[in-house]
Amino acid sequence: MSGKISVYRFMSAGCNGCDVQILECLVPRYKLAELGVDVVFTPEEANVLAITGGINVKGREELKKAYEKLKPPKLVVAVGNCAVTKEIFDKGYPMVGPPDQIAPVKFYISGCPPRPQAIVTAIAKALGATLEEKEGYWATPEGFRGKHEFDSEKCMGCGACAQVCSSDAIDVLEDYGKRIIKVDYGHCSFCAFCQDECPTEAIKLTREYHLLTDNRNTTNVTNEVELFKCASCGTYFVPARQIDWALERIESEVSEYKDFRNNLKAAMEICQNCRREIRNIKNAKKLLSQLSLKVQTI
Amino acid sequence: MPEIVQIGPYRPQLVEPERFELVVENNKIIDVNIELGYVHRGIEKLFTTKTYMQNLALAERICGICSGVHTLCYAQTAEGVIDVTIPDRARYLRCIYTEIERLHSHYLWFGVLAHSLHEPDVFLRTMGEREQVQDLLEYLTGNRMNYLINTIGGVRRDINPEKAEKTRKVMESMKKLSNYLISLLDDNGRLTKKTKGIGILPKEKALALGAVGPTLRGSGIKSDVRKDDPYAAYGELDFEVITEEDGDVRAKSLVRARETVESIKIIEQALDKLPSGEIAVKPGEPLEKEEVGRAEAPRGELVYYIKSNGTNVPERVKVRTPSFANDFTLIEMLRGDLLDNARVIIESIDPCFACTDRVTVVDVKTGKKRKVILK
Repeated sequence: MSGKISVYRFMSAGCNGCDVQILECLVPRYKLAELGVDVVFTPEEANVLAITGGINVKGREELKKAYEKLKPPKLVVAVGNCAVTKEIFDKGYPMVGPPDQIAPVKFYISGCPPRPQAIVTAIAKALGATLEEKEGYWATPEGFRGKHEFDSEKCMGCGACAQVCSSDAIDVLEDYGKRIIKVDYGHCSFCAFCQDECPTEAIKLTREYHLLTDNRNTTNVTNEVELFKCASCGTYFVPARQIDWALERIESEVSEYKDFRNNLKAAMEICQNCRREIRNIKNAKKLLSQLSLKVQTI
Repeated sequence: MPEIVQIGPYRPQLVEPERFELVVENNKIIDVNIELGYVHRGIEKLFTTKTYMQNLALAERICGICSGVHTLCYAQTAEGVIDVTIPDRARYLRCIYTEIERLHSHYLWFGVLAHSLHEPDVFLRTMGEREQVQDLLEYLTGNRMNYLINTIGGVRRDINPEKAEKTRKVMESMKKLSNYLISLLDDNGRLTKKTKGIGILPKEKALALGAVGPTLRGSGIKSDVRKDDPYAAYGELDFEVITEEDGDVRAKSLVRARETVESIKIIEQALDKLPSGEIAVKPGEPLEKEEVGRAEAPRGELVYYIKSNGTNVPERVKVRTPSFANDFTLIEMLRGDLLDNARVIIESIDPCFACTDRVTVVDVKTGKKRKVILK
């Protein structure tokens, strides 16, 4: 893109965090001036539309109007996760966004909110320019909550992260004997509850914050875990690692159960559907004989 | 090129869209209509679809600028429902984080005021130095905004001696900025002439319209939840409630500028007195009860109401934000003032929603509407 860049900011149904970050971009240290970018306050003067927020019923018509008034090349950028996916407001009743259903979005900048550093770098990238990022404030401090990372050695695919996620950004999918944990960081509110709750410390929020993409479907981090086949009926039902983890935990918590390890393991290797089949002693015995287990008498 | 970006014709619309219809005659505002709803997200309904913990993240996204105090107030109210007492160290840490947030919020507002008064130097200096506060928040909490530092049962991150040292350093430097801002508003100050005598909100009107926070204190009424109904560790810390008598834009600005000094005082005291021990306790199960909690947000009194049915999802959450209380005082302030002053007056309540660039002017004689852009 060449020529003068004039940005008009449009906001509907967000928290205004991203709007403040755009305002902060104007502070000289973020070098927006060096890129020759101008922030204007009517859509008629602008050729770039920066959308923040997830767009509600009232904002939809206003967004359409603003887009029509833009000067060519009518570049639309979604700033922040509300504009990317509606984030935590996804299921809100007045929401009609995200903006890419109303206007064609060219770039998506993820973050909640994205740092001004991320916004300015994204603009530079879109312009084909590079910024010097030497000074200390370009790096993120220790403990910054950025893009997710899985430790595939540790992850057992239990899905606890999906349970505690505050904005439904984590999906647990099952496919051909594999369980896939999929984190959509374009949908994430970066609360780090997943990191806090993970029983094996397998998911971590890294210090990576440059989250620019031109394809909405690429804002994912995934991890695959092998599933275990039910010892009785042969359907995949639980990650193999989760059985080992649960056994270890039972052993460490209740020492008396140590002797029953094999029995516990065998019990865990039967899927919930087969367990439901055990309605009477006859069925139970049949199942046990199938699995060639001894009946424990107490 | 640089000068355009720094001072240029951009509009720092801090804020969300909100439409004001001003009825104007001879450049004088005679009536005002306010239209809200461009930012409506159905949050109160969403509250009843998430667990108490997940709602922390939702609460702070009501407003990005005062996100910390939203989690604080929500957590305090939820702690009443769950019946849990937080550790002493957490109480002090909550004060520190909340006051740092007040600093960034007030400085940001000051930057916007300076911009609407066409004072680019003040805008750039305030915003530039404010970055230190933002960096500090990022360093302490892991995010520049929506830091999710308060949790039900305490806080999520501790302040170690190294972090305390850094905080003190930033506070030293912020004292200079606060003094500079106050000096801009004293009798011969640069901003005094432009803000004195406009947008007056008399004492009785402020009370009658239910104003809160700096808007109310600017009209000479001593009201501050931190003092009136102390929460966290505010009861054990020494600070003053700032009031100004005039009720105009200058008074409201001065209240905020002087409050930053008090905030720095609170942060330094809390760091000195910081008790040792745990920073959070594990909350139990919610009880079947109702609870109301309040806190002093940068813009005024924030109220949360939670009704619990004993499950891990609240049955009803109601939020009364300070900007909602203050918004209607604008009608009183704008009425009778000049159109030229409208933008400054609207910004003087520090509205959390105000896309004030599109104002519809209604010509009362012909009934015709036309749009103008406030300069």
